[in-house]
Amino acid sequence: MSIPRPTNAVPVEYLAPEAEGLVVDLCGEEKNVHRLEELGIRCGCKIRMLSPGEPCLLAIEGKKMCLRLGASAGILVHPLTP
Amino acid sequence: MATVALIGNPNTGKSSLFNALCGGQARVGNYPGVTVEHKTGRMRLGSTSHKSIELVDLPGTYSLSARSADEAVSVEVLSGEMPGLARPDAVIVILDATNLERNLYLLSQVLELGLPTLVALNMWDRLESEGIAIDPKSLSHSLGVPVVCTSASKRMGVADLQSALGELLESAESSQSAREQHQPASLASTSFPEPFRRCVDELALWFDSQGCRLPRFQIERLLIDDSQAHSYRVIPKVLTSEVTERISQAREQLASEGVAIPLFETRARYAWIKQRVAGVIERKPRERRASLSDQIDRWLTHRWFGLLFFVVLMFLIFQSITWFASWPMDGIEFATQWIGQRIESMMAPGPLRSLLVDGIIAGVGSVLVFLPQIAILFFFIAILEDSGYMSRAAFMMDKFMSILGMSGKSFLPLMSSFACAIPGIMATRTIENRRDRMVTILIAPLMSCSARWPVYVLMVSAFVPNRSVMGGWIGAQGAVLFAMMALGALVSIPVAWLLQRFVFPGEPSTFIMELSSYKWPSLRVVLMRVWERVLAFLARAGSLILVTSVLIWAAAYFPGDHGPLDIATAKLEAEQAIPDADPEKQQALETQINQLKSEMISQSYLGTAGDWIEPIVRPLGWDGKIGVAVLASFPAREVIVATLGTIYSLGAGQDENSQGLAAQLRSATWPDGRPVYTLATACSIMVFFALCAQCVSTLVTIRRETNSWRWPIFSFVYMTALAYAGAWIVFNLMSFW
Ligand SMILES: Nc1nc2c(ncn2[C@@H]2O[C@H](COP(=O)(O)OP(=O)(O)OP(=O)(O)O)[C@@H](O)[C@H]2O)c(=O)[nH]1
Ligand SMILES: [Mg+2]
Repeated sequence: MSIPRPTNAVPVEYLAPEAEGLVVDLCGEEKNVHRLEELGIRCGCKIRMLSPGEPCLLAIEGKKMCLRLGASAGILVHPLTP
Repeated sequence: MATVALIGNPNTGKSSLFNALCGGQARVGNYPGVTVEHKTGRMRLGSTSHKSIELVDLPGTYSLSARSADEAVSVEVLSGEMPGLARPDAVIVILDATNLERNLYLLSQVLELGLPTLVALNMWDRLESEGIAIDPKSLSHSLGVPVVCTSASKRMGVADLQSALGELLESAESSQSAREQHQPASLASTSFPEPFRRCVDELALWFDSQGCRLPRFQIERLLIDDSQAHSYRVIPKVLTSEVTERISQAREQLASEGVAIPLFETRARYAWIKQRVAGVIERKPRERRASLSDQIDRWLTHRWFGLLFFVVLMFLIFQSITWFASWPMDGIEFATQWIGQRIESMMAPGPLRSLLVDGIIAGVGSVLVFLPQIAILFFFIAILEDSGYMSRAAFMMDKFMSILGMSGKSFLPLMSSFACAIPGIMATRTIENRRDRMVTILIAPLMSCSARWPVYVLMVSAFVPNRSVMGGWIGAQGAVLFAMMALGALVSIPVAWLLQRFVFPGEPSTFIMELSSYKWPSLRVVLMRVWERVLAFLARAGSLILVTSVLIWAAAYFPGDHGPLDIATAKLEAEQAIPDADPEKQQALETQINQLKSEMISQSYLGTAGDWIEPIVRPLGWDGKIGVAVLASFPAREVIVATLGTIYSLGAGQDENSQGLAAQLRSATWPDGRPVYTLATACSIMVFFALCAQCVSTLVTIRRETNSWRWPIFSFVYMTALAYAGAWIVFNLMSFW
């Protein structure tokens, strides 16, 4: 699998319902990014949007997570076309 | 005796496994953050030399860099800092097999603690339906620790786990100083960047030279975690400033050498995980079709429908409690009255008989009547908790709570405060943001806990007409009850806003939470939860409420010469025993007794105290008796029912005495003959109880969780003021109307 170039990346909030994306970058304060990674949200993992908005509901490797990061951190994904 | 700790990510089945291993009664629920303090239990290993083992259930954590108070508990126990608990001799790490990679992150850290470690691959029963296959043998080989497959909730694999644990402890014992030596084949930390490892070596030397030996793992945590993190708490106070200095220097040095703290850690660990699971785990490609769980979630977390569903669900629960409970309640009420009458028929009138009948049976009995309600309430709560719905509700509420500057994380503690504020306040340990946690602790006692039920139900059943609206589907009584339940929550909204605006200014919080998978609630879990609360309720009725009932009885009985009253009562009872007695004579005796009774009670200490209190509570529409009863219920609010039971049993006329407390309340009058209790009075009492901080245990819990007396005093003052004002407004509005 070729790593998509980050230029195609969009913030995870922009994924449409049921759309999938590959996490390409986590940005924001380091300790917040560290936490996200501990929780299993890390570069290279696949995310499926279940319910967009604030907070949004995501499926990450088969587990559902809800997320409202505000300005503290951001998740950039490369949208995967089905 | 060996100590063994159970650790793992939240909601992976640690408490279920704990219960299966040692027959304990740890609370189990299907949402992250059920366990928030450590719990110990004894367990026997059959065939080994270790006769008995102390098993420790811990709060769930995603990593050993603790960010919230519950995670800190786990880290403290593992590093042996928890007072009163030995450092564990071995650890069982519970991994959710359906989410292996993420769960291995914690394991990679635990392995570095150097404790003998055993892996329980839990949720094994769900692997197939998730389309995942794991080879436990190669996993064990690759991790270098024994791996056992378990299904804790179905109690499968428990025997295997026990024997594996026995072997682990035995081999640890036979190799001398096993604690230091126990090291699996490969550790993630060996692949940390060279400059970082050098830095840790230097710091370790420095700590040694200061006479403070820290394990390598802890020094790594100091370097990686930010200064708010738990790892800083282990440093002796005298060293703190110097350590902070050294660490920031070391970090600058590392940054210049290209080591990205803290992110290199996660990278290194996930790289390690990738190596460990290669060839061990196999995933069938999933169909893209939305699963049933996704479809349910689409509705339950829908912006409007989800909210509506939540409100309707709560309403139905409260309605059905009133339906289901009425029959057993009548039974208990009948039983207590029957016992009272038995005693009356066996004993001559006098202080002892009065203590038993008016003090203990009328007092404690009137509280016991509410046992069915409590049991049914917890039955529903347990079903919601174990189905997985709770985390959905938290997700939905986050939208709304973020407006108040809080997060959905606060929802679960608040929801559990509807049962009882004490576990609710404890549950705030899962909230990382300190300011959020404080606000949640301070508003949790406003949620309508189950101890308020008896007050509401008593007032509602006595004074709200039993009419039904909307074609009989909604009872007026149920609706008022629901309104009372909702009142505290509604009032908490402006309170939370004010608190976070003026008392705890700070960053708005973020929200990250894992949703649990839906499942059918387990009958065992549900019944255990109900049983636990029923026992707690009975324990309270048998201790605090019993004592207050006796005290109130004494205050209402003494001083005063009860001789004439006892003689009149004895006469009446003798008269009643005669088959065709003179009804007029009986009538005269009854009038005399009623008059004596009310004289005695108004001369008593309680009557005197009532006269003192009356001016203060008069604006709320209460008389002195209610005032005293409310005052007596400041230690625990449900005491009000017991005190009213005692007061009116002592003071009640002979007719009402056999009709229960509600009838006695209805017939209470002011000296001028007007009834004391009107709908307005009843509502003012209910509103007072909805808002007041009448629970010593809650205040003590606030003290413990905030480490200061300031906050319990603050809660007490603001809630009591709120309660008085609320009751005054309601009474005046309703009397006017
Ligand atoms: N299918 C399945 N469900 C399980 C298994 N073990 C536990 N559960 C369920 O998972 C949920 C969580 O169980 P708990 O024992 O409370 O989990 P915990 O790890 O103690 O959770 P926290 O204390 O919140 O960290 C409950 O609903 C259990 O019934 C299992 O092996 N298989
Ligand atoms: Mg638990």
